[in-house]
Amino acid sequence: MTSRLLAQKIVIIGLGLVLLAMSGASFYHSRRLKEPVVLGPGVTAVKQLADYFEPLRGTANNCNVYLLEGRERGATMLVLGGSHPEEPAGRLVAWILAENAVVQKGRLIVILSANRSASTVTRLGGAYPPDFSIVTPWGSQTFRMGDRWTNPLDQWPDPEVYFHYPSRQQLAFVDIRNVNRAWPGRPNGTLTEQTAYGFMELIKREQVDIAIDLHEAELQYPVISTIVTHQRGQDMATIVSMTLTDMEGFKIGTEFSPRTLHGLSHREIGDYSPALSLLFEAPEPFLDATRGITTREQLLTGKDEFVVKAGKHGLLFEKIDEKGWPIDVRVGRHASALLQVAETWGEDHPDKLLVITEVPRYKDVIEKGVGSYLRDPAKGAGRVVYE
Amino acid sequence: MSMFTQASIVLATMVAVYVVVRAFRISTELAMFGAAVGGALVAGFGFPVRHVAEGAATYLDINLIFVTATLFMNLLKESGGVAFVVRSILKRFHRSRALLLVLLTVLLLVPGALTGAGSVTVLVTGSLVAVVLHYMGIPTHRAAALIFLNAGLSAAAPPVSLWAMMTAAGVNMPYVGFFWPLMLPCLVAGLLTSFILGWKGEGADVTKALEELPTPPAGMAWWRVLLPFVVFGGLVFVGRQWPFSTPIIGLPLMFAAAGLVSYLVSPVRLEFFRIARETVDQLLPLLGTLTCVGILVEIMTLTGARGLLAVTAVTLPMWVVYATLFVVLPASEAVLMWGAAPVIGVPLILLFNNRGLDPIVALAGMSLIWPLGDALPPTAIIGRLTVDVVGYKGSYGKFLRACLVPALIIVVMGTLMVVYSKKLSFLTGL
Repeated sequence: MTSRLLAQKIVIIGLGLVLLAMSGASFYHSRRLKEPVVLGPGVTAVKQLADYFEPLRGTANNCNVYLLEGRERGATMLVLGGSHPEEPAGRLVAWILAENAVVQKGRLIVILSANRSASTVTRLGGAYPPDFSIVTPWGSQTFRMGDRWTNPLDQWPDPEVYFHYPSRQQLAFVDIRNVNRAWPGRPNGTLTEQTAYGFMELIKREQVDIAIDLHEAELQYPVISTIVTHQRGQDMATIVSMTLTDMEGFKIGTEFSPRTLHGLSHREIGDYSPALSLLFEAPEPFLDATRGITTREQLLTGKDEFVVKAGKHGLLFEKIDEKGWPIDVRVGRHASALLQVAETWGEDHPDKLLVITEVPRYKDVIEKGVGSYLRDPAKGAGRVVYE
Repeated sequence: MSMFTQASIVLATMVAVYVVVRAFRISTELAMFGAAVGGALVAGFGFPVRHVAEGAATYLDINLIFVTATLFMNLLKESGGVAFVVRSILKRFHRSRALLLVLLTVLLLVPGALTGAGSVTVLVTGSLVAVVLHYMGIPTHRAAALIFLNAGLSAAAPPVSLWAMMTAAGVNMPYVGFFWPLMLPCLVAGLLTSFILGWKGEGADVTKALEELPTPPAGMAWWRVLLPFVVFGGLVFVGRQWPFSTPIIGLPLMFAAAGLVSYLVSPVRLEFFRIARETVDQLLPLLGTLTCVGILVEIMTLTGARGLLAVTAVTLPMWVVYATLFVVLPASEAVLMWGAAPVIGVPLILLFNNRGLDPIVALAGMSLIWPLGDALPPTAIIGRLTVDVVGYKGSYGKFLRACLVPALIIVVMGTLMVVYSKKLSFLTGL
């Protein structure tokens, strides 16, 4: 090897090491970014998912389980945020519940990071920002951006094709790390399958009556701005949809969970437990394949000229204009929808009510902003836990 | 400044940097890296270290497959296994060219169909088939074209067609009903390709071929050749048959296991480290390309250049969309590889669905066309891999020209499947 070639190699290796160190620091920070949760007055206990399925202890997916016990007995609702952490409205609604909700009757169980591992990674090739911040009256709170799939550091390699358990339906290989393709889970399966299994154990042990999985979707995805429901929840979802459209000024539809599409919460929770299973979808232009510049601003404002153009050509299943789809609107929709589910449930089950208070509705969130409902960890006074 | 203007400037900058770097006879990989950095700088992102690293890791799994599969095949070659198989095939089938071509087509279609990767076809059976084709009197560039096109079709063929699976997942469509819409055209196109490219050529001169072919070492036998393939096929089979009681080891480790078996049962002692080193040397340009493509795609996504291409492609008038599928799909594949499915495939399928076409047949038709892009720059990954494996030393353009006629047939078949998908929807229920 000539000395010139040797020098070239040394320079390139040096540059590679600098790149490795700088990017490594960023990835390390993302994976370990602590997200504070100030326990609201309604939180009566914080458990972990491993309390329901022991093998998850010590894994990235041993997430916190927030229990909000009502003053009177009633129905139990499970709210899953962060099944897909790249859909931040779901996590933020769950945050608002954990920090604000007070349950008068019944019980609320809230998950902020249903696939915690997926919240510690960003998509390869997706150019996601590592995190995003929500402005609050006391400063700002930063959240991990996350991805749709479990971090490969926690579950790898993927097979060449994913067989869903127990249906044996074949899915794209990467969906073996998608918790919303892993229901009802498998006790001796992958981390993602074990996570879904852990939630099923929780649902059974806590005798959950209603399970709600909070999501967001790209506007070119046909299942959007809707409540997807298992067949046992069809009546309720229809009433909730009509009520919200009439009373709160935003349109939300209903979709029935296809019986042949497996692995999704709205299908499998309903099939494998007595709980009513619902999934909410809000519009998130950040996820659209035609999106323009990929930034935190786009994530939170939902403004995108390219997506607007796609909409003008009839390629979208939800409207979009220059106002975009701000995070406050998306969070507000989810908040109102789940409160409406609780109210509608109560009308059908007067002997088993679920009464939740201190949670903002759609108009409140739009008026005051999501940040107004996030509490200052500095004033948490011993009631701060981390996601 | 509007997003369109900004993304257009970024895209123009990327193209300009690429062209300038290439003009200085610097490698394609560095040109792509330069284009990515140039685009990021112009878009105001500075040097986005995190995105560069993230993009570089995008195709890590595919790189690992390339390395382990090529190592396996190189071990088999060095052990004399390839020469043994080729001699045996020629001896047994040399009298019937048609039968030989059908057999070779099936041999090429199976590995990619099972794994969803054309590269696996090229690496596992490509080199074997290439030698047989050589002794059938087929010029190397035509042999390379035959193997490349069949490898692409094998990747599109069921049961695992990644373009179809990824696009279906993107539109919430179960991967169900795709078998025959994918299988029939892949089989027909595969056979047509093999006969168009392989029919002409002097009949196999067995005596001469056997003289020229290296003699396998004493002790070489069918079981020594087949055992590694049985191990690989067995691992794939077990994982599919009993997916819930088989640990997931991934394709790279499966190939590594096959390579290990090949090493252990070789009748001659193999210099493992030399072969491994030569394998990495052989693959380095490909690995570099994939790494830099990942970086380029990540920066294109970051800066909106990717979105600009995607939105432009799907907002053209319908007849233009049909008429340009043969350009848009291969071009997107050439840049994004499987990433083309979520970026271009999803909006196109939604567009077709909106217009009343059958999304399953239309997607199957598109899946037929996509792999053709694997021979095109800037990546040309499978094309280059094929040329490399076959040992073709001539101009890349000559190889592409050899692909032209069968590729046109494939494009026409795929486009007609899209246009007449509604009428062909009976295929989904077979």
